[in-house]
Amino acid sequence: MATGQTDAPAGGDPGLVGAGTAARPAAEPKGVGGGARPPGRRRPGWVQLVARGGVLVALLLVVVAFGIARPDTFLTTNNLNAILQQAAAPAILAIGLTVPLALGEFDLSIGAMVGLGGASALALITLHGVAWPAAVLLALGIGLLVGLVNGVFIAYLGASSFVQTLAMGVILLGVEYLFTNQQTLFSGVPQGYKDLGQSDAILGVNIQIWLALLVAVLMYLFLEQTETGRRIYAVGGNPDAARFAGVSVKRLRVLGFVIVAVAAVVTGILITAQGGSSQPNAGVPFLLPAYAAAFLGSATFRPGTFNVPGTVVAVLFLGVIQTGLQMLQIATAWINIIQGVVLIAAMLISRLERKHA
Amino acid sequence: MSTAATSGAGVPVIEVRGLRKEYPGVLAVDDASFSVAPGEVLGLVGKNGAGKSTVIKMLAGLVTPDAGEVLVDGEPQALTSSHAASLLGISVVHQELALVPRSSVAENVFLGLPYPRRAGLFVDWSALHGRARAVLERLGLAVDPRTPVDELSVAQQRMVMIARCLAWDARVVVLDEPTASLTDDEISHLLEVIRQLADAGVAIVYVSHRLEEVLGATDRVVVMRDGSVVADLETATLTKQTLVAGITGEAGASESQTVHVERTGRPPGAELLRVTGLTRAPALHGVDLVLREGEVLGLAGLVGAGRTELARVLFGVDAPDGGTITVRGKDVVLRSPRAAMRERIALLPEDRRHQGNDTAQSIRQNTTLPTLNRHRGVSWLPRPSAARERVASEEMVGRLGIKARDTEVAVGTLSGGNQQKVVLAKWLVHGADVFVFDEPTAGIDVEGKADVYGIVGELADAGKAVLFISSDLPELAAVSDRVVVLREGRVVAELTGSQVTESQILHHCYGGEAAVASA
Repeated sequence: MATGQTDAPAGGDPGLVGAGTAARPAAEPKGVGGGARPPGRRRPGWVQLVARGGVLVALLLVVVAFGIARPDTFLTTNNLNAILQQAAAPAILAIGLTVPLALGEFDLSIGAMVGLGGASALALITLHGVAWPAAVLLALGIGLLVGLVNGVFIAYLGASSFVQTLAMGVILLGVEYLFTNQQTLFSGVPQGYKDLGQSDAILGVNIQIWLALLVAVLMYLFLEQTETGRRIYAVGGNPDAARFAGVSVKRLRVLGFVIVAVAAVVTGILITAQGGSSQPNAGVPFLLPAYAAAFLGSATFRPGTFNVPGTVVAVLFLGVIQTGLQMLQIATAWINIIQGVVLIAAMLISRLERKHA
Repeated sequence: MSTAATSGAGVPVIEVRGLRKEYPGVLAVDDASFSVAPGEVLGLVGKNGAGKSTVIKMLAGLVTPDAGEVLVDGEPQALTSSHAASLLGISVVHQELALVPRSSVAENVFLGLPYPRRAGLFVDWSALHGRARAVLERLGLAVDPRTPVDELSVAQQRMVMIARCLAWDARVVVLDEPTASLTDDEISHLLEVIRQLADAGVAIVYVSHRLEEVLGATDRVVVMRDGSVVADLETATLTKQTLVAGITGEAGASESQTVHVERTGRPPGAELLRVTGLTRAPALHGVDLVLREGEVLGLAGLVGAGRTELARVLFGVDAPDGGTITVRGKDVVLRSPRAAMRERIALLPEDRRHQGNDTAQSIRQNTTLPTLNRHRGVSWLPRPSAARERVASEEMVGRLGIKARDTEVAVGTLSGGNQQKVVLAKWLVHGADVFVFDEPTAGIDVEGKADVYGIVGELADAGKAVLFISSDLPELAAVSDRVVVLREGRVVAELTGSQVTESQILHHCYGGEAAVASA
């Protein structure tokens, strides 16, 4: 292609004008249409497919594997129902968490918020005689308030997300203890409240599963199909550019914190409704699995981007290995180690895919 | 594959042969061959997207070529990492400042090299500072090596990056747009330093869009076009016109065509924007100016004069301390870019990398971000229709000549000039009455610049007002109907009609006696 090379100083204009006088259009077809050229080092399509659908494929594989290993117990309606039900409440939290993560923020107070959400509802009902629907609304209101405080402090007052939400988590734990005196609350929980976690009135499927499905669909539509969702991803991608394009970056950040806090309250309510009781400090163990699911999900479907379908598949995947490994009577220690390794592997696959994208 | 005009210059310290690099959908470099001899300054020029950046990255060890080889002292070498390149004596000073802001000059200069130690364990700071001082002296940089680099000016920071090359004993120094955002004095100092390095036997590759500098500073020029080296000539045989012709590949391109704006010549209309006594410490101290329909107002000034600061206040990014902004006769308070957009003000920001685009998103998604609610499939549902967005962004791709496979490619894969056009596309889709263009052609190739001038002219002819900020004075003089000169946060001159010339602008930029020396 070095047709334009001129060995001698030409002294005039034409010497430099060799190759392609129509420079602009000539630049485009190169590499795209040129059939004679070797294809370069693009990754084969199946590698991309595996990387994108990796967690989904892995989910199907482990379901089949456990099905073969424990044919009598694993692939039964009861068991699958149980796995889905167990995954439902954590899924709502992880889906909620997907929003601040997509905005480039994070929230470490969500575990404590789960605990306070469930405990406050139950404390209002059992200790203060509040009707359960009102208690649920009040608990959701607390979530809204906490999200607003986190969001306003971080977005408008410049607090660091790390310190703000870590401190908020400690505060929320304290508030939970104030509500409950660190007691397990279980007496006097009305059936109406328990039904929020236990009812299977719709097609015999547990209400939590329906609720998680509803939240997943709504949040998927919100993040990927609405103008606000597009702006959220724009903020996560480049907050300055988003602001310079007229996006209200601060307001969206507040919204993200509100959404995850409310989702945490919902999770807390479902857990206490299912058990009909509230234990002290029950929320904190929900923190890390939610992050694990969201990050594992970000390796799926849209690698490098936090997305709701990915999060949902990741929650199911983590739930299935948990249950399956338990059925195989593998020690909890190993279950933890396996889950951690799976998470790191998923991240690596996602990074590889992104590098070549 | 003979490289021309190297005869007599000695054995090349570095030679590249047939380099080639293809990215999915883009052939970035097709066939690049050239060499540099010790003590030689080689200019590397070409449009954005011609392949210069990729060649530099291959020399820096950041990108592995698909084909071709790099010879150092005649031996083929695999540049597998930037460390490998550094060890072979190849140092690249990238366009972006790659320094650790809070660390000292000395630490930055010796970054990646073993520090001198005491007792084999603790850093011997006085020895380190002594070594740094020696390197800085060679560059004529009079700063204390203990100063944190973020307290230095941009020019000094660039010198620190060059000092790093010396610390590594670089025999080949690649400078990518080294004079961007430097003042004239700083540029001439930098060029002197480059000449000194060359005299000391260092081979220099000088990459720049500023053709006057290339002609003044280099011994030989390699022109790249569409991924290939199309010319390799002694600088002495070149003129700006021949260089432009070589870069564009169009015969007979002349200098006047480079900066030429078609205008209807209609006189400006009603007042659109008035700024009175605008103050924002420490940059702006009572700025007054008026923008009318259908005019291009140039805003000149040296670095630090307050041009970008003014642009930011006008777009609601920063709040003023005092003064008023009047839009169409009404005083307004612009608390955010959104508020400015409601007043139909748009800004093309100077810092394209950080404020321009979300580079992971597609051309379509970036283009329609400010106008999402206008691309709905169903008018009452806040759901953007990808098809409608595509229609809007494809129109812009055509109008602005954005080079891309389609509108779904990530903006990050485009060249700098095309990324800038995507930012422009956003505002053309959005529409505005007042367009603030802050250094719209910085780092853009010749054709891209012409496209930007064309748009500026179109906007003004359509009755819009354009506030055009540029450090490129010939460009500013050619594009503007009227020029306001800022110095130290104040308007020091307003030039109209025949006064709008490069030397007049420069005279007022420097103010008084300094102008004589520079003009």
